Amino acid sequence: MTKADDLHGAYDHAVHPDAAAIIAASLVHVPFEGWTNEALCAGAAEAGFSADDVARLFPGGAVDAVVMHSALADAAMIEAFEAMADRPDRVHLMIREMILIRLDQAAAHKEAVRRGLTLLAVPANALASARALYATVDAMWRAAGQRDTDISFYTKRATLAAVYSATLLAWIADSSGDRTVIEGFLDRRLQDVSRIPKASAPLRSALSTGQRLAEGMFEIVGRVRR
Amino acid sequence: MTELSRPSAGRRDIERFLRVDHAGERAAQQIYRGQLAILRNHATGPQIQHMMEQEVEHLEAFESLLNERRVRPSLLDPVWGAAGFALGAVTAAMGPKAAMACTIAVEEVIGEHYAKQADHLGDEEAGLRGTISKFRDDELEHRDIAVDHRGREAMFYAALKAVIQQGCRTAIRIAERV
Repeated sequence: MTKADDLHGAYDHAVHPDAAAIIAASLVHVPFEGWTNEALCAGAAEAGFSADDVARLFPGGAVDAVVMHSALADAAMIEAFEAMADRPDRVHLMIREMILIRLDQAAAHKEAVRRGLTLLAVPANALASARALYATVDAMWRAAGQRDTDISFYTKRATLAAVYSATLLAWIADSSGDRTVIEGFLDRRLQDVSRIPKASAPLRSALSTGQRLAEGMFEIVGRVRR
Repeated sequence: MTELSRPSAGRRDIERFLRVDHAGERAAQQIYRGQLAILRNHATGPQIQHMMEQEVEHLEAFESLLNERRVRPSLLDPVWGAAGFALGAVTAAMGPKAAMACTIAVEEVIGEHYAKQADHLGDEEAGLRGTISKFRDDELEHRDIAVDHRGREAMFYAALKAVIQQGCRTAIRIAERV
């Protein structure tokens, strides 16, 4: 997590340490009560905070806590990934590794994650949900060293959002306790994605041919004028 | 402007600034590339080449800033590129003076735009303010070059300039947000 004084730091929504402490203490209550104000207040009391602190730190209510929980998970995932001794060097393997790290880290409170997804699925929380997903895939691409500033910035994030959310849902639904089940699911999704460049190649080559044609035509116009 | 009256830009403002500036430099670089497609062998070619190279430097600076600050680029990035190239090529096809008139119109708006941004950046953003101020000077130098190359003598200069400037201002408003 970035320092509090790092105004434009790596994470847009740096989570307040007090909020992080309340969330951590609430995780044992969430499986029974869901992400509710009651669960947060129970966690806050155990962590030495009051109900007023809950209202102050989570102005949007429990959905704020879910989004912050996701932001904390993003940071923990990146930290663990960057600390890896034998980090993979190919982009899709880095992404694969990060997703697996995130799921492994979440395994201890899988039910809380499931309850969080239930709350995020409420239509009123659609925007918060999209932002949380964006923050996660954005953090992954940046940790994988991708510095796009053109349209591929968006295509990469959209693709990974699909892969990641599908894998997360499969992970929630999977009760086999066998890690290879999810690994296999994730690998198949990543394989689907690797086919996209091939499928879109004709379109891309048509676009670049069109651009060369247009530039060539202008060059001819330029020559005729002289 | 005194320190007290200088409004300090927040994180959201900075994001908007960097997004629109990156989009603008993308378009500017493409305008000169469009002009060069027509005028590469014209007497003004080397001058346009020089201006394009400066715009490439600006674009690269904003590419780094977008990444440093984790700001998303404009979703319409390909549109700005294509529109810039078309504007440059079409005005150049109208003649070297019209190309220079286009440069005057565009750089004047960008110069104003950068000046306004620099005014909104406080001392905590002195570095960014310096970068933007330097780029503004470059853009105004481009305008002066275009004036020297008799851009103001282009046919329908006033109308051409008004149309291009209106287009630029609209594009700025869109790229700040989208």
